[in-house]
Amino acid sequence: MAIVEIDVETGKIEVLKYVAVDDCGVQINPLIVEGQVHGGVIQGLAQALFEEAVYDEDGNLKTTTLAEYLVPAACDVPSITTAHTVTPSPTNQLGVKGIGEAGTIGAAPTIINAIIDALSSLGVKHMPMPASPQTVWRAIQSAKK
Amino acid sequence: MIPAAFDYKRASSAAEAISLVGQYGDEAKFLAGGHSLIPLMKLRLAQPSMLIDIGRITDLSYIKDAGDHIAIGALTRHMDVEKSELVKKHVPLLAHAAGHVGDAQVRHRGTIGGSLAHADSASDLPATTLALGATYVAQGPNGERTIAAKDFYKGFLESALAADEMLTEIRVPKISGGSYGFEKFNRRAQDWAIVGVAAWRSNGNSGIALVNMGSTPILAVSASNALNQGASIADAAELAAAEAEPQSDLNASSDYRIHLAKVLVRRALENASK
Repeated sequence: MAIVEIDVETGKIEVLKYVAVDDCGVQINPLIVEGQVHGGVIQGLAQALFEEAVYDEDGNLKTTTLAEYLVPAACDVPSITTAHTVTPSPTNQLGVKGIGEAGTIGAAPTIINAIIDALSSLGVKHMPMPASPQTVWRAIQSAKK
Repeated sequence: MIPAAFDYKRASSAAEAISLVGQYGDEAKFLAGGHSLIPLMKLRLAQPSMLIDIGRITDLSYIKDAGDHIAIGALTRHMDVEKSELVKKHVPLLAHAAGHVGDAQVRHRGTIGGSLAHADSASDLPATTLALGATYVAQGPNGERTIAAKDFYKGFLESALAADEMLTEIRVPKISGGSYGFEKFNRRAQDWAIVGVAAWRSNGNSGIALVNMGSTPILAVSASNALNQGASIADAAELAAAEAEPQSDLNASSDYRIHLAKVLVRRALENASK
């Protein structure tokens, strides 16, 4: 779950809070589980808000370095609140399941849904990824028409 | 990427630096903090065959009260400008802007002279010193001259410095009273501004400059004049945005930039009017 705040004049998004609750069965190393969830959430958030491969009309890639292809740094992401339930997996003797993908899968739609929820009163029903400030601003302007 | 091959000499004084750059001409660039030049060299957008390291000329790092202005040595690090009690007292807009350059590691190395000489319209300090009506002091083989900030920025990464000149001092007029506003709009905390605004108001005067709204930092003269004559902040913001013709790039289209400029000038002026 995420709470986002949108500056409607500029389209800038701030993720105020992010909560992830996961179940990966028996946790062998809870610190690693925590790290995996954080990393996955940030990767999903990056897809929702930052990462974009941009091509010109001739098909040349314009975002060829990390200066143009945006990946968030620590100061660009919110604190992530995590919690877990433990349902031991019945398919193996340790009762374990994977946790590497869990954070990623949920994060991008969570952020986008939060943005659409925040902007729904302005008539915005759809938000492409990444939801850059310019994209958000354009969506707000289009909804006004 | 790694830079193209280059040679390196260290200068221990401004005079030695100028004599060295005279020998190597266009092939040489000064290296101060390196935080504008080295990234450019790594992208091979600059390929000097000789780097003249002026970063250890410690007597060019100072901040002094010079009466009607604050005199800042060109090799003063951004961190020192940010933390200086003199700058905070007499030109708080400059201390604030210096504190927004890059991140703390960059501010410990980068210098004000280096940033200004690099003349990138997307940097914070060219626009800020432009808004503040600063004068830059340049030293060359024929002596010293002063250049007003408004005459300094000629084009994209192009300043009024001759190839054999070096910035030695930045003179920023003191401002008494009033307030300032500084807006730096970016997507990630450590990025350059997509659009930025440096503004101040005091005693019926004002200064407004725009970051990354063109190939040079832009002094919004008509906006400032209108404001001084009683125009509303909203009207001044419209005028300021109209003084620029920004290009579209990967970060923003030109119409979004113009819109951002209006919003950010308005916000900066609101802060400057408190």
